[in-house]
Amino acid sequence: MSVLDDLTTPSASADPFSVFRALRESDPVHWSEAHRAWLITRYDDVSAAFQNKAFSNDRVRPVLERKRQSGAESAATGVLGLMTGWMVVNDPPVHTRLRKLAAGAFKGQRIAAMDAMITRIVDEHLDAFLRGSGPQDLISEVAYPLPATVIATMLGAAPEDRDRFREWSDELALVAFGTGGAARADRHERALRGLREMESYFHTLIEKRRAEPGEDMLSALMAKEGDDRLTDDELVGMCALLLFAGHETTTNSIANSVLALLRHPDQLDRLRRDPALIGPAVEELLRFDGPIKVLNRWVVAETEVRGRTIRPGERVHLVLASANRDPEKFAAPDALDLGRSPNPHVAFGKGIHACIGAQLARMETRIAVARIVERLPGLALAEEPEWKDVLASRSMEKLVVTHS
Amino acid sequence: MRIGVDNEVCEAHGQCSIVDMDLFPLDDDGYSAVGPDREVPEGEEDTARLGVDACPVRALKVLS
Ligand code: HEM
Ligand code: SF4
Repeated sequence: MSVLDDLTTPSASADPFSVFRALRESDPVHWSEAHRAWLITRYDDVSAAFQNKAFSNDRVRPVLERKRQSGAESAATGVLGLMTGWMVVNDPPVHTRLRKLAAGAFKGQRIAAMDAMITRIVDEHLDAFLRGSGPQDLISEVAYPLPATVIATMLGAAPEDRDRFREWSDELALVAFGTGGAARADRHERALRGLREMESYFHTLIEKRRAEPGEDMLSALMAKEGDDRLTDDELVGMCALLLFAGHETTTNSIANSVLALLRHPDQLDRLRRDPALIGPAVEELLRFDGPIKVLNRWVVAETEVRGRTIRPGERVHLVLASANRDPEKFAAPDALDLGRSPNPHVAFGKGIHACIGAQLARMETRIAVARIVERLPGLALAEEPEWKDVLASRSMEKLVVTHS
Repeated sequence: MRIGVDNEVCEAHGQCSIVDMDLFPLDDDGYSAVGPDREVPEGEEDTARLGVDACPVRALKVLS
């Protein structure tokens, strides 16, 4: 089957959607030699895969065990140890317990109450942006710092500590996605040192909250659920996971949304005329060009998808960005229609691991996009953005715009 | 206040359950286990409304 199936070439990163279309049409369950993984690209198959118990999220532990067996007990195994405890890389029953203990912190009312705090943070960043003139990068100035500041504030960190959250988030990504060659080995070492600092910072924050509980999310995470609660190490892991899972995704959600609106002036006008459309608009923007292209699963039991036999030990890539453009599920999938309803996109995943931060991410994206559109009436693209050559996320290097 | 799910419509997106696991339980496969008609405990009405609104396929309804 000669269909283009390397998703990390510059042309596939610039326009993944035509690659996905070809895969959906010619070979929707495709073995890719380039990725050494199955690419699942149709909505129905992706959707069913979230329910399929042959697909496992437990993918860090095997790496850690291999490293430990090879005797490489190092700083890297320490950070991997922390990540091994993350609910997102665990299956039931470990996952079930952690998710239940975290759920209280993400309850509807608690998130809804963050509206004013998020609006204030968005406006502070936009104030600074508006003081600048000429072409500026909306990602480095607004979309990137915003979610890290929100998470730091939510966890109850002091304002002067908030910048460190950004560094830790970058360092977590560097360790999680591995290094590329010796050139980056040095950065890797520095990242590991930074993350040890992060761990002791979170331990101190936990001590403080224990002495003096507050209304913050960390205090909520520390609460008992029945007879059970998170240990201190689990709490540190949870804080790191929230930062890791909630930062870059939300940055890209805001940036990709603004780009899509700039490329569809009719829809941008529509939103400006009808600001109440922001709810469904953000769902459509997440469907149209969401932050996550691909989710990974390990195969732990033999299973069949659309007549293909998939075997234990193999890897599966669930291509969310393709499922969200499947014409069998969405009418005119390549059109951006801010009023689309219903809109059962899978940008937040589905099933037991469905994004626990989805309500928060929605709120951040809604407020950020609404305020950008309102406060920057002259917003225009200043240069063609470049897309990063990465498999998992749909992420621009910069989004350079002018506002007057 | 009473809420219910139409299990013919529910697609197991799990978005309701993120709002409140107790008000919007899921079955083992991730489908809503709210049932056709369930009483919302007093004081939880606003949360129930948030959960109903979070469903992308409008499988959940406020019944009364
Ligand atoms: C628009 C922004 C976001 C998108 C598109 C997104 C997307 C996702 C997706 C697709 C998953 C499922 C992963 C899987 O099945 O393997 C997930 C899980 C998760 N997300 Fe998000 N996310 C976003 C923002 C956030 C935020 C703001 C937070 C928290 C502060 C967060 C915390 C989490 C956590 C903890 C998990 C793991 C849940 C579990 O394993 O049960 N995410 N997210
Ligand atoms: S959000 Fe809707 S589709 Fe998803 S589980 Fe709840 S009721 Fe079902």
